[in-house]
Amino acid sequence: MSAMINYHAEFYQGTKGQLFRLTRTPRKINAHIIYIAPLFEQANQTRHISTRSATNAYSLGVQSIVFDHFGTGDSAGELIDATLMLWQQDIVKQIRAIKASSLKPIFLSVVLSAALLLNDEIVSLIDGVLFAQPEFNGKSFTRQLKRMAVAGNLVKSTEIMSDGNRADGSIVDIAGYQFTQQLYNELAKQNINKLSEFNLVCTWFEWLTPGNELTPSRVKKKQDFQLTFPQTKFVMIDDDKYWQSTELQLAQHFLQQDQQEISRLVKKNKATGQ
Amino acid sequence: MNTAQTTTQLITILMAIIPGYDDDFWTADTELFGAIAEFDSMAIVTLIGEIEDQFDIELDDDDISAENFATLSSLTELVNERA
Repeated sequence: MSAMINYHAEFYQGTKGQLFRLTRTPRKINAHIIYIAPLFEQANQTRHISTRSATNAYSLGVQSIVFDHFGTGDSAGELIDATLMLWQQDIVKQIRAIKASSLKPIFLSVVLSAALLLNDEIVSLIDGVLFAQPEFNGKSFTRQLKRMAVAGNLVKSTEIMSDGNRADGSIVDIAGYQFTQQLYNELAKQNINKLSEFNLVCTWFEWLTPGNELTPSRVKKKQDFQLTFPQTKFVMIDDDKYWQSTELQLAQHFLQQDQQEISRLVKKNKATGQ
Repeated sequence: MNTAQTTTQLITILMAIIPGYDDDFWTADTELFGAIAEFDSMAIVTLIGEIEDQFDIELDDDDISAENFATLSSLTELVNERA
């Protein structure tokens, strides 16, 4: 099947440098979906599933874009020159480019820490979002990053480093990722409460715990989320958390549900006349 | 939650993070830090995140030590202390 897919690799001119993108364009386009990569190691841990999801979307007539943020993956630039605003501007630019040539709905796939990149401008431009175990709490995310450095010191493979050589502040080095303290601080400040309320059609994929119940912290996140995105369907996933495993996981239940939800979003937007 | 229940839940978490071992590999005496190749900084941080989430507790950075992550038994002790 993959041999028949109209698949295109390109360098797209982003705000500050070229972004490496993979687009899959079906003959008849019903909608568009942009996969927002999560941050740092999570990008590597989730890429294989985003690729499968994009292939599934193609079969539904949904054009997909999978791209690397500035300074990450195969895109131009260095992570040390990245800022939260730059990454957000790159997303906005790509959405606006689609809107300039298509009236079809635009969806985002937002996995884990990719949720920290959302702002009101991005959300106001799109028609639906598929969230997979989203992390909206920047403080919690950066705390885990910091722990990575602490745990790294424990296994003597990395160390946290600060130096004041840059005009925009010190440099943070965590598990081989070097970025500015400014970016660290920007991410730490991100929170769902900073977003306005949006009546978008959304899906939230939540991975079940062994007790098949939402943990108190996830319940709190879900409640906060519903204030911003009241039209959200929650879908429980009965797979291992594929991004956490030291072995490649296929996430079959998630991919099956993901395909169903992409289809639902397309139909829902058709029904509302978009 | 008693010690046995904590250990069982920790084993479930570890099996999901490091799935390459048979079920009977995981016991209270299983050595973790320095003994399992896959038990690297990424696995430790993932494990901490899951522990905090599933046990509804918060661990300090000071808790990230070789002693606390030495064995399943020491980890169980840490979780029960913080719960």
